[in-house]
Amino acid sequence: MARNKFDVDEELEEKYQKGSLTRALQYAKPYRLKMLAALLLSCIASLLSLLSPTLMQQGIDVAMPNKDMGLLIQLSLILLFAIVTSTVCGALRGILMANVGQSFVYDLRCDVFSHLQRLPFAYYDSRPQGKILVRVVNYVNNVSDMMTNGIINAIMEFLNLVFILVFMFAMNWQLALLVLTGLPVLLGFVYLIKPRQRKTRLINNNKSSNLTAYTCESIDGVKVSQIFNRQSVNEKIYEKLSRAAQKAFLDTVYISNTMWLASENISRTITSLVYVAGVSWFTPSIEIGVIIAMASYAQRFWQPIINLANIYNNFLNTVSYLERIFQVLDEPVSVDDQPGATDIVDMQGNIEFKNVCFGYEPNQHVLNHMNFKVEKGQSIALVGPTGSGKSTVVNLISRFYNVTSGELLVDGRDINSITLHSLRSQMGIMLQDSFIFSGTIADNIRYGRLDATKEEIVAACRAVHADGFIREMENGYETQVNERGGRLSQGQKQLIAFARTMLSDPAILILDEATSSIDAKTEHLLQKGIEALLKGRTSFIIAHRLSTIKNCDQIMFIDGGQIVECGKHDELMALKGRYYELCMANARDTAVEWNEEIDGK
Amino acid sequence: MFQLKFMWKNLEGNHGKFILGILLCAINSVIVIINPFLSQILVDDAIKGDHRSWLVPILIGMGAVILIRTGFRYLMICCLDQSSQGMIVKIREHVFHNLQHQEMRFFDKNRTGDIITRVTGDMEYIRHVAAYISHVLVESIVMFVAALIYLSTVNITLTLWLMAVLPFILISSILYGKNVSPLYRQIREKLSDINTAAQENISGNRVVKAFAREEFEKEKFFEKSNEFRKANLHAAYAWQKIVPVMDFFAQSLSLLNLLVGGMLVIQGQLTLGQLTAFTSLTWALANPMRNISGILNDIQRFFASAGKVIELYYAKPLIADRFDAEVKSERFDGKIEFKNVTFKHGQTTVLDDVSFTIQPGQTVAIMGPTGCGKTTIANLISRFYDVDQGQVLVDDVDVRMWTLGKLRSSIGIATQDVFLFSDTVDGNISFGNPEMSEEKVRFYAESADADGFIRKMEEGYDTIVGERGVGLSGGQRQRIALARALAVEPPIVILDDTTSAVDMETEKKIQKNLRELPFPCTKIIVAQRISSVKDADQIFILENGKIDIGTHKTLCAANAYYRDVCELQDVHNLPPFTGPVAKGGEA
Repeated sequence: MARNKFDVDEELEEKYQKGSLTRALQYAKPYRLKMLAALLLSCIASLLSLLSPTLMQQGIDVAMPNKDMGLLIQLSLILLFAIVTSTVCGALRGILMANVGQSFVYDLRCDVFSHLQRLPFAYYDSRPQGKILVRVVNYVNNVSDMMTNGIINAIMEFLNLVFILVFMFAMNWQLALLVLTGLPVLLGFVYLIKPRQRKTRLINNNKSSNLTAYTCESIDGVKVSQIFNRQSVNEKIYEKLSRAAQKAFLDTVYISNTMWLASENISRTITSLVYVAGVSWFTPSIEIGVIIAMASYAQRFWQPIINLANIYNNFLNTVSYLERIFQVLDEPVSVDDQPGATDIVDMQGNIEFKNVCFGYEPNQHVLNHMNFKVEKGQSIALVGPTGSGKSTVVNLISRFYNVTSGELLVDGRDINSITLHSLRSQMGIMLQDSFIFSGTIADNIRYGRLDATKEEIVAACRAVHADGFIREMENGYETQVNERGGRLSQGQKQLIAFARTMLSDPAILILDEATSSIDAKTEHLLQKGIEALLKGRTSFIIAHRLSTIKNCDQIMFIDGGQIVECGKHDELMALKGRYYELCMANARDTAVEWNEEIDGK
Repeated sequence: MFQLKFMWKNLEGNHGKFILGILLCAINSVIVIINPFLSQILVDDAIKGDHRSWLVPILIGMGAVILIRTGFRYLMICCLDQSSQGMIVKIREHVFHNLQHQEMRFFDKNRTGDIITRVTGDMEYIRHVAAYISHVLVESIVMFVAALIYLSTVNITLTLWLMAVLPFILISSILYGKNVSPLYRQIREKLSDINTAAQENISGNRVVKAFAREEFEKEKFFEKSNEFRKANLHAAYAWQKIVPVMDFFAQSLSLLNLLVGGMLVIQGQLTLGQLTAFTSLTWALANPMRNISGILNDIQRFFASAGKVIELYYAKPLIADRFDAEVKSERFDGKIEFKNVTFKHGQTTVLDDVSFTIQPGQTVAIMGPTGCGKTTIANLISRFYDVDQGQVLVDDVDVRMWTLGKLRSSIGIATQDVFLFSDTVDGNISFGNPEMSEEKVRFYAESADADGFIRKMEEGYDTIVGERGVGLSGGQRQRIALARALAVEPPIVILDDTTSAVDMETEKKIQKNLRELPFPCTKIIVAQRISSVKDADQIFILENGKIDIGTHKTLCAANAYYRDVCELQDVHNLPPFTGPVAKGGEA
């Protein structure tokens, strides 16, 4: 699968997708009544604002020449009323739209996040985390204003336009047509500039997303960078990314600002033309007042167009973000509940592989017609060389991937007919990566069972021999750790992860190199301690230490995607096959040389 | 105000452009006020009046003015955006540099999500203020003042009347600014929470799935999103309280024109023409007033954000080069010495008065129960933490006296928690020296027994591995990390349980290769298997902060922990035990 690197731009969709906008509008739909109300309030406010010049006119033409104080006060009161009403309308609109905007963001963000929860490992594995992060947080923040206020403003400007158009045509259609001639010019300009504008936007998004991705990665990997004294190299890389982001940003500035530049100049030219045309062609036939009025209408007609051009600019920007967001939402969920899937209640822990084939990529065969059956309560060790498919077996049992062909049965049921949640919540899966969340140690362990009491948490920790070191920390179970696990040693993290898994009381336990960083003695104690815990649970154990493996009910030696040998330790030793070789190699290594050493020195 | 100084300081090199931008903005604001007068002349003299012939020249003049004005504006935007981008580039590169040099305690304290918020969202607000708010502010002020000056030459009485609203506006602005400041800090904090929640969820996606905790994660995230929404709404409500007030004052200027202006006209103190001048310029006073609350919002947000960025910008690592650091250009011999070292993590004492010496070229193995401080020893040698008491010496010099660069480039560490970068396998192995030759990369990949599986990958050494090496098995990741550490050919090699996830056969091969490294080095090996440690020149057993030093032979006979591990791992022919009896069994 193609992986994305921090400095690799994500693909550019050259053609812009109209679908994103209509789709985004769906998110505004639940709030359409509020938006309609806001629109209405805006209309009222702008109609009232038209009142002010008229009242002034009345004052200048009638009240003042006649020295009519009464009328003047009357007019002032009307104006006062108009002002108060329009400001109140404006504030109400503001509150309404803030609500809509924030809810829009909330809904969209939650949807993106929810979808991310359903996406398979492959999605996360194939791109830097920072690139996912910017979509959930930054991009969503960026679209809200356009999709709420932007829409209303666009409608308002459009209404304005129509309103003035009607007035213009009613007054003088020839001049009105003249005013309109600017429009094709502007549209032509928009048409010419749009592809470049879009491209710069996309490049800008890409570059800033690369920058964030690299920042994220550099924070996570800071220790490695310091170990290798790589800071200055990293800074060079960052500088390159940062400069690229700067250039991309400025390119969008240069391009998108030509929009108002063009529209304002066209607007002024048109207004001038109205004067010239009016005076030189129509003077005898129409009054000078009409020309002046037409010129002012021309100005007023073009103002909403300039505003619309700006909105359009923002809109293009928004669409480029929306496309990225919807890309996440459109990401296919490869492992999901199938139609008709039902919960598995009270899982027993019988597992059966029937002719299971699997590959992470098409045409790749990691597992080749694998067959085996595990009864409830058995403990199974998976051994074999690196890359032989041990982890794949447990990945399939946890249904992190779907089998390519064949059948995988859990308690006699096809694994695909079981809901994912019921399946995994009854399994305890402990991976090599013992991720610790920021929070207290108790919170981290409680992750295994959310309603666990303090006593149960402590009991789980005792069972895995984690209680001791946790108590020694300054706030014991309430000690805060951060997501990198900060001051915990790798072995301690594994013990916490172990406690977390045991707390979930699983029917099937999967330990994939789960104790590799725990020292030999603790591991030994751990094994004795958890033997009681393992009773009645089916368990799959992948480990390189023979001590961990030896006592399992069945040992499966896997190589080349198939089970080569299978049986108890003693049986396999008697077989003198691959497993025997492995054990002997190990024994030679640890034991024999003691005597040699004494003799030799 | 420090935030503004900070901004100015980082505009260095772009000061000229920035000032030019601001100047252009000021000039433009004056032109904007002049333009209506040209229209006035056009209408009054050229069209209504007798100077028809003026029409075209005036129109051309107006066209020129608009061209100049829009041209200036475009130039202004370019100037401001260029200079503010220059500033941001400077700030973020410095912050990145600073982050790269922070000590581990800093990262123990700060959540990744919060740091990300600072370098993305917070940075954006600084840019926004420099590029946008700066000119809106100047535009508003210049326009307001210019209009005010002009109007006061027309009629001082009416101007003073109009100015009556000023104190109200000032008072409400100040009150508002104080009120919203905490609201914007809140929004910032909530944004940081969202970033953290999302970032951890993405990082920990495997654990989330393993525990089927998707619903729980969603709930957690929805709550954070909702808090962010609420914080935004609080600020929006506060804003919508001030907006109508400001709007009212701004619009009341027209009311004053009508009422007071009208009365003055009636009283004969003002001509109708003068009143028209007032009405035609009222917007130049009203618009700046309307802008105030928006500017205040952004500035409050800016102060909240800039403070956070500044913290990162000036964060000083305690672990840093001394000004009188030792200079040594030759390769280290690789002698390591701990003198009465005590180290604490919080209140837990990890190492308690530990002393030992490792001679150049020796191989030392460290064993001990989980959490006993094995990794701490590696961390102290490479100075990721400083000791609380005692001294760590490398080549007979206190590590605090070496430059970090010299010290760390002399130590190759492969940690157990492997972090790989989303780069090619080749890029990851040559991480310590990007100019490394291909042969060298291969050679050390072979030393780490990684060459075989790397070649089997689709694109071999050019295969991109995901962040943290996802897609590779634990053992494969460890082997790449090992190759990475060896490839810099350091005089000190620290292998911190690097082969824990590697199968035994591979481990044996790796051990053999380690013995035959083509460069001289001191090796420190943290391991769990007796087979990995028994041949070491010295073996350290760490337990409860204390150290017991010996060799396989002596420890078998005298150290209870080591003896127990030997027995667990089926080491035969152990000599009789003579040491103190193990205390309890608790690790």
